[in-house]
Amino acid sequence: MSNVPSDLKYAKSHEWVRVAGDVATVGISDHAQHELTDIVFVELPSVGRKVKAGEACAVVESVKTASDIYSPVSGEITEVNKAAADDPALVNREPFAGGWFFKIKLSAPAELNSLLTPEAYQAQIGG
Amino acid sequence: MLVESVTPELPDTKTLKLKWPDGHNPEFQTGQFITLYWPDAPEYKRAYSLSSCALDRGFYEVTIKREGKMGTRIVDWAKPGQTMFVLPPAGKFLPAFEPGKQLICIAGGSGVTPFRAFVRDATKRELENKITVLYSVRTTNDIIFNAEFHDLAAENPNFNFYVTCTRLHPEDKWTGRRGRIDAAWVKEQIHDLPNTVFYACGPNPLVEFAEQVVLHDLGVPKTQMKTEKWG
Repeated sequence: MSNVPSDLKYAKSHEWVRVAGDVATVGISDHAQHELTDIVFVELPSVGRKVKAGEACAVVESVKTASDIYSPVSGEITEVNKAAADDPALVNREPFAGGWFFKIKLSAPAELNSLLTPEAYQAQIGG
Repeated sequence: MLVESVTPELPDTKTLKLKWPDGHNPEFQTGQFITLYWPDAPEYKRAYSLSSCALDRGFYEVTIKREGKMGTRIVDWAKPGQTMFVLPPAGKFLPAFEPGKQLICIAGGSGVTPFRAFVRDATKRELENKITVLYSVRTTNDIIFNAEFHDLAAENPNFNFYVTCTRLHPEDKWTGRRGRIDAAWVKEQIHDLPNTVFYACGPNPLVEFAEQVVLHDLGVPKTQMKTEKWG
């Protein structure tokens, strides 16, 4: 069964969000990395890029497939995780820790309310 | 392995034929996948279903869409004479060719490629298994192996190939089926449900939808369905 930490919010498209002040850290869930299988390439957005909630802004490629990563919230990219780009398998090993993708300064914090709770996300991925 | 040929199937999809080295004669099964990488990027590997079958000897064929770094490099830049590294075939998405079994294969986009292998295998061996491919594409311009599937259907009386288009312009002259795959359409293909094995291959939403139709709507036991998702 996939790990779904209780202190995070989730998007239906399998990204997670951890909020600290007005900055959100975004990554992909344990379920997502498991479904993707071995991740071989991570492409991150440019720092300073402004994105809208639901906008594709990164790419993750596994041995099976290439998938867009969507920003769950609107704002400006303030930092990206070069370690994940340099070592894509880090996303498999530590999806909720060292394998994060980017940090984003929230421009519409109320959007967080429309993300899934851990319980709702757990239900989405089949318990 | 040497890239023997690169054949366009669609503007964004090509079939790569990889020649086995002299003396190489691997045992593998129709429906398996191989994993490819370029000599200059050994860490960057991608797995692709074989579109050739186990009776095709001397080469592997994979049919690849321009998607991600690997798909783009292959579709845009692969040329005969180049070398790629190939990990041996693996995987359990195998055709149930036991006597009396019917195969209903639900495909989306380039998810049809392993079913080309299934049908080539059954046709070459003149098997009596009924095989039906239900292929969902956006438009008629997206049908991979259209001519070959029709040729195989003409050659193999047990094989049927049906396409449904989900995003055709209303005025398009296509006379075939339109709309998504649904339970009624799948049900029409079933002759003997307990002896039918369902397959689904393609993008996650299509495979999950196929699972919903087959397992939930038609009430088929999980043991009678095999799926291959792309993530």
